[in-house]
Amino acid sequence: MWLLIIFCLLIGLLIGFSIPVLFPITLAKYMSIGVLAALDSVFGGIRAYMEDGFDSTIFISGFIVNTVLAAGLAYLGDRLGLELYLAAVIVFGVRIFQNLGIIRRYLLKKY
Amino acid sequence: MRSKGAQISIALVCMILGIMLAVQFRTTASIEATQTDERLTELTQKVQTLTEEREALAEEVLTLRSKIANFRQTDQALADLQEEVTEAHMAAGLIPVEGPGIVLTLNDSPLNLQVGENANAYIIHDRDLLLIVNELKASGAEAISINGKRLTAMSEIRCAGTTILVNWDKIAPPFEIKVVGNPDMLESGLLMRGGYLEQLKVLGMQVQLQKMESVEIPAYTGSFKFTYGMPIDYEEKAE
Repeated sequence: MWLLIIFCLLIGLLIGFSIPVLFPITLAKYMSIGVLAALDSVFGGIRAYMEDGFDSTIFISGFIVNTVLAAGLAYLGDRLGLELYLAAVIVFGVRIFQNLGIIRRYLLKKY
Repeated sequence: MRSKGAQISIALVCMILGIMLAVQFRTTASIEATQTDERLTELTQKVQTLTEEREALAEEVLTLRSKIANFRQTDQALADLQEEVTEAHMAAGLIPVEGPGIVLTLNDSPLNLQVGENANAYIIHDRDLLLIVNELKASGAEAISINGKRLTAMSEIRCAGTTILVNWDKIAPPFEIKVVGNPDMLESGLLMRGGYLEQLKVLGMQVQLQKMESVEIPAYTGSFKFTYGMPIDYEEKAE
């Protein structure tokens, strides 16, 4: 399981570094929020997997919707002159740490 | 539900996340690189153009001066005028001058700043230099330079942030003031009781005064530009 995650992440990084695609500079800020949301989804998924409550549909839809929503929220905030991306950063940051904590506890219990 | 499907979807999402992370990383890196690059090239270009301009102007000054020198050499009939021109050039600071004089070196105070004291009291200011130069002029100085910058009639001594501008060039401590004139007169002018040099010494500034048999003072390297002033023929006026 862990090997699989790390392996796939490495493959993704390799692909990402080798393809010549770049985000448009104007969208880079929103994409960074999207990346944060994606990171949160993945940790949430791993946690659910360890709790045996994993659902592929929820996981994948959450991954896509969270990413798009976070980026969209940051974009909307910029248009409104409101720093809405801070909300996304705080929420996802807190959740990432929570999920990491739960995952850690599971691992400690397991081994 | 630890099925194959779950593992596949996690694997897939991880891969996508990896791609996103990598692309985002590269995007950020490229944005930073282009920003610093732009600034760098802009500044480099500015420096280059300014250096070229400066060199061109310096060359122009040299050619014009050699022209003047040529005129002076070839035209024997104007011998009297030559002398006048030389004197005028000396007064204007356009030719280097050599003669007896003094070398005065000033540096900031080496004393440690005590709590609550103003650091300004321990450094040499533009007004210090101004007052000393004024004193030197009053003592019969014929030519003065500060850190190799010849003082002309139009020279400024002006504070510019942390440095001092003379002839629009920045100078910094230690200040070496070279003066051509009667060394004894200059010295006594500076060392006058209650004079400005004494005040500087009280504040702890490092002051060094040397009488010299021969002081060499460089020429003014810039050029004069008269936009508003026009010469008036004073002989005509006198009539």
